[in-house]
Amino acid sequence: MTLPTIDIQHVTKRFAEHVAVKDLSLQVPPGTVYGLLGPNGAGKTTTIRMILNIIAPDQGTVKIFGEPASASGITNRIGYLPEERGLYRKMQVRRVLKFLAELKGVTGKTADTRIDQWLERLSLKTSEKDWGLSKIDELSRGMQQKVQFIGTLLHDPDLVILDEPFSGLDPINAQALKDTIVDLKRRGKTVIFSTHLMDNAERLCDSVCIIARGEKVLDGSIASVKEVHGTRTVALGLAGDGMRAVAPILADKSLVLRADDSNRYYEIELAPGADPQELLRRVVASGAAIQRFEMVQPSLHQIFLQKVGADHMGIEEGMSGHG
Amino acid sequence: MAKLWAIIKREYLERVRSKWFLIGTFLGPVFFGAIIIVPAYIASKSKAGTEINNTVILDVTQTGFGNRLAAVISGGPAGKPAAAKPATTGAHPSVRVIPPAALPAAESTATHEVMILTHTGYLVVDGRTIEGESVRYAGRSATSIPDMERLRSAVKEAVLATRLEKAGINASQTRDITFIPLNYSAERITEKGRGGSGIASVMFGFAIGFLLYMTIILYGQTVMSGVLEEKTNRVAEVVMSSVPTNTLLSGKVLGVAAVALTQQILWVLTTILMFKLRAPIMSKLGASASPFAFPSISPTAAVLLFLFFLLGFVFYASLYAAVGSSVNSEQEAKQAMTPVLLFIITTAVFIQPVLLNPTGTMARVLSLLPFSSPIIMPIRMAVTAVPPWELGVSLVVLVLACFGAMWVASRIYRIGLLMYGKKPSFRELGRWITYSG
Repeated sequence: MTLPTIDIQHVTKRFAEHVAVKDLSLQVPPGTVYGLLGPNGAGKTTTIRMILNIIAPDQGTVKIFGEPASASGITNRIGYLPEERGLYRKMQVRRVLKFLAELKGVTGKTADTRIDQWLERLSLKTSEKDWGLSKIDELSRGMQQKVQFIGTLLHDPDLVILDEPFSGLDPINAQALKDTIVDLKRRGKTVIFSTHLMDNAERLCDSVCIIARGEKVLDGSIASVKEVHGTRTVALGLAGDGMRAVAPILADKSLVLRADDSNRYYEIELAPGADPQELLRRVVASGAAIQRFEMVQPSLHQIFLQKVGADHMGIEEGMSGHG
Repeated sequence: MAKLWAIIKREYLERVRSKWFLIGTFLGPVFFGAIIIVPAYIASKSKAGTEINNTVILDVTQTGFGNRLAAVISGGPAGKPAAAKPATTGAHPSVRVIPPAALPAAESTATHEVMILTHTGYLVVDGRTIEGESVRYAGRSATSIPDMERLRSAVKEAVLATRLEKAGINASQTRDITFIPLNYSAERITEKGRGGSGIASVMFGFAIGFLLYMTIILYGQTVMSGVLEEKTNRVAEVVMSSVPTNTLLSGKVLGVAAVALTQQILWVLTTILMFKLRAPIMSKLGASASPFAFPSISPTAAVLLFLFFLLGFVFYASLYAAVGSSVNSEQEAKQAMTPVLLFIITTAVFIQPVLLNPTGTMARVLSLLPFSSPIIMPIRMAVTAVPPWELGVSLVVLVLACFGAMWVASRIYRIGLLMYGKKPSFRELGRWITYSG
């Protein structure tokens, strides 16, 4: 087995009032896109900060590329985009980038060349205008996000950690971010990102880890997670007025554990021991016009809701209100 | 090390490039120049005596004593009653010989003249004055000790001359005996030997103390708002993922220290330049430059001054950085920095007493305590010879205090930078310091 890029073993982190991360273990294989999923306050940011050696765990070990997270030189191989983004407002874009590059050990001409390439690539430098010479202040929000993104990748890191990268991005930048993540993976880099947006995770991640209240709920490749958790979901599509007719059936707790109304179809999670054929019979009997009845793998979103519970979404707690 | 350098470089260049640095650097010498030139200019314009020469003498003795006194006041010998030509330029006291009965009316006229600024005051001389018993002055200079001292000795001199003449000594002999155009100069002697003008070294000491005080307050707060800025715009987290917090903290402190040093060096250089050029400037203004020798600084003293500045700055800037990292806004910072500010202001309060008694117990104790030594010790060095062992102990204590301050600050800093929300209490700060992670 290849050495995992990140190997977290039984890590616990306490803050004065609460436990932010509790006995967490996870491995991130090299060259994968890894999603760290969980509601707000689950401990995602704390976990990321321990990976980055910004804070140290109370117990357990964090190894990056097989070495302790505190080993020298490790940080030069990691690119980090924090959830809360900001830059020196009064500083020239190019100088900010040069500074960030120097902090990662990239200096002089190399840094300048790469800055040029990135500015051009994200159209911050065109034939009409070189935004690199402007102050951060003078840039639009979207442009500032691009600059920050360049700062994360300028030193061509082997491991890229993105904390809630999609929050606050406009659709164009979000697309650029997706493209870049795919490109990084293609070039053999490892990407970790935290999110509570399951759609993004499902589309981008090879593997995920869902954490809630500081503890791991489940982890593994998307395929295996779905396989383990996804044999009892039915997608039901109805024509016309059928929704009203099936409502009493869906309310039957002996048959249906949860039904998620996705407007054009239902995603139904069967109750333990319930037979899908029984459900089909009763829907037919109700007289509703069935367009679709399919045993499906649940979406990551469904698994997440099932495992973490909708009631935990949006709970704000933790060290800095995010994580 | 390269990363520390990157942080120092950014702090230094971004601040030196700012327009406030330029404005401060060029306004400083203008300000210092004004401090040097304006008082000298005013002093030369109001040379001691020109005011007091404009005193009216109301003479009721009918003996010519008033004229004799007038001659003395305007700088001539006392022997000749009516000195034809005063020795100094400027006004000559006017003498009004009046009968005793007319004195109240004459006084009221003189009072009016003083009020409308025709004269600065009047002096009543009568029989008791010739006896050397009493004399009466009324006027604007009544509170000026040097002026009153000058009038008193002029009266004494005139009385002495009158007595000599009564004793049968002729006018020219009297003039020779009483005319003492004494030129009084004061020179300072310290343990090291002769040390130039006393006033000059006190002024120099004060200048150094004030400069250090101002630099620590201004640039200490610069460090604080720099830290706060990184915290509020969240750059801190990116930087902390690349360098250890200790490196970030020391880079900031040293970078800003370099900015402060640059500004000071520019200030000192331009001030020296202006000092050298002050004679032409003063003569353009129609005044002569006072003989004020710029105190020379030995290389050893310069190195010590530099050390005290650097260490003192590191000490205070670390504390300011800790404050900046533990708060969330400028408003909170203003309150939270009060304890740090108190230390500096307390020290500043002691600058004057220390200047007056630079070898006293208070001065010696304050120059050993780390929170005051960076300001007090350089002042003492300027005005007196500080024993080498005291310098040594003071530096060692200061170095230890710097390590202590850096340690405490870096622990608060490391946690504070990631903490948002409410301002921590002192107890929480204590927990951050002792926190092991």
